[in-house]
Amino acid sequence: MGDLASLQNAFIALLQQGNTGLMQDIEDQPPLQVNQRLEIYQNAYQIRLRGVLEQDHETLGFYLGDDLFNLMLTQYIASFPSQSRSLRQFGDRLPEFLRMTAPFSAHGILAEIAEFERILLRAFDSADATTLSWPQLQAIDIGQWPNMILVLHPSVHFLTCDYAAVESWQALKEKNVPPNADIKGPHYWLVAREATLRTGFHPLTALQWQCIQSIAQGMPFSMVCQSVVGEFEDEQAGSMFVISVLQLGIQQGWFSDVHLLHA
Amino acid sequence: MSVPFLGFGMGLRTCYFEQIISERPAIDWFEIISENYFVSGGKPWHYLSQIKEQYPIVMHGVSMSIGSTDPLNFDYLRQLKSTIERVNPVWVSDHLCFSALGEFNSHDLLPMPYTEEALNHLTQRISQVQDYLERPMIFENVSSYLTYKQSYMTEWEFLAQLHAQTGCQFLLDINNVYVSARNHNFSAMEYLNAIPKRSIAQIHLAGHKDFDSHIIDTHDEPVCDAVWSLFSQFSQQLPAVSTMIERDDNFPPLVDLLAELDHAKALTHDHWR
Repeated sequence: MGDLASLQNAFIALLQQGNTGLMQDIEDQPPLQVNQRLEIYQNAYQIRLRGVLEQDHETLGFYLGDDLFNLMLTQYIASFPSQSRSLRQFGDRLPEFLRMTAPFSAHGILAEIAEFERILLRAFDSADATTLSWPQLQAIDIGQWPNMILVLHPSVHFLTCDYAAVESWQALKEKNVPPNADIKGPHYWLVAREATLRTGFHPLTALQWQCIQSIAQGMPFSMVCQSVVGEFEDEQAGSMFVISVLQLGIQQGWFSDVHLLHA
Repeated sequence: MSVPFLGFGMGLRTCYFEQIISERPAIDWFEIISENYFVSGGKPWHYLSQIKEQYPIVMHGVSMSIGSTDPLNFDYLRQLKSTIERVNPVWVSDHLCFSALGEFNSHDLLPMPYTEEALNHLTQRISQVQDYLERPMIFENVSSYLTYKQSYMTEWEFLAQLHAQTGCQFLLDINNVYVSARNHNFSAMEYLNAIPKRSIAQIHLAGHKDFDSHIIDTHDEPVCDAVWSLFSQFSQQLPAVSTMIERDDNFPPLVDLLAELDHAKALTHDHWR
């Protein structure tokens, strides 16, 4: 290994592991001591990464309180050093960290709040696309509707919660006390960018969720109806339900396009 | 490569997006952080697409890690190239430093030693990057807090040599020169005097935090008097060079940054006509 590579490895070892082997390669230049010069870089590294997580997960921070949030930051930075050139991705593994690391792992809501905040970030700068309008659907011959395949807007993301994660996030945003973390049965959420470019989130019923998931899997309208028909008295009621979901989705901008199977 | 004189610009930051679009302030050009636009859409591109219709844009990267001894990261370069195609900037810059090694990213601008090995390494990498991007790159001097024992030339000798070997031009950050000069006890003016004048494509002016024993380059304060003085003296030696205020934190009202730009214009008014 050349001198340049050795120096760079020693520098990274300083930042990543606190290994001060680099000291022997640094000129003594009073009034600062060599260790103080190295600490400037060590501190900058910590401050920069902590700042990113504080910004991306502000509400999780309110939920945890200062002490636990600081513990989380310290442990996450040590466990999951940044592997991306952009700081935008640095917190991507935070939900995973919270699920597997005590004391956070004892509270499943924490990973869910973190996941929700990651999804908000992804929806914020997902690809742009046009949004589907009702007249576009109406222009399709009714006989072709069973074959139509709806395309979700690129900003649409899904989250299933076993705890009151989104409700707690919302309460804290509004400076209210979060509700009890425990809920009966899963809560389903759809996150998408609105026409104003603000990121919105919407609760879905289990049936709406099933319907949108079928659409997300690329199923044609007939199969989307089929996927929920068992929940209704007859096929027509099932189809009407799916159409109500389409209306909601079109109103909210969840669809970007429609095309016909075999077209 | 000869870059045009764009006048007096500013780093484009999200907190000023709406005001820039609604008020069209008298700023000659904007510099964007390249990596902030490595995303597909949403607000960043919504605002930038409107602003770039009205103002020239240059791109400034912070993550190329041109000095790293790792192989070049072509995933990064692909994203950069595609962003360049979308933005169509007047020029593209990054920093003379390393920031990543292996899978580890420091997200900092870590200094290079000033050695023949580093010079040859940078020469080769700059050529590879420019070939891949199919355009010349401009590189910025970074501020530093340590000096490697291995360095046997000064930073300004190193830059002059690099320019001689590659022909690459520099984004000269005068605040960084001042910060490093104070931190390493050299003359900032000696540094500036030694930089080949034809190599300077752009100038950054910024603020810092002064702790007396050392300075930290924070970009969260107004440009200090000492940096203004360096800029004023140095500008008299130069043809007109595109100059901008770089503010990254503790953002003041836009009018304060416009006042700093006016000050830069006033200092160069007589010789950069």
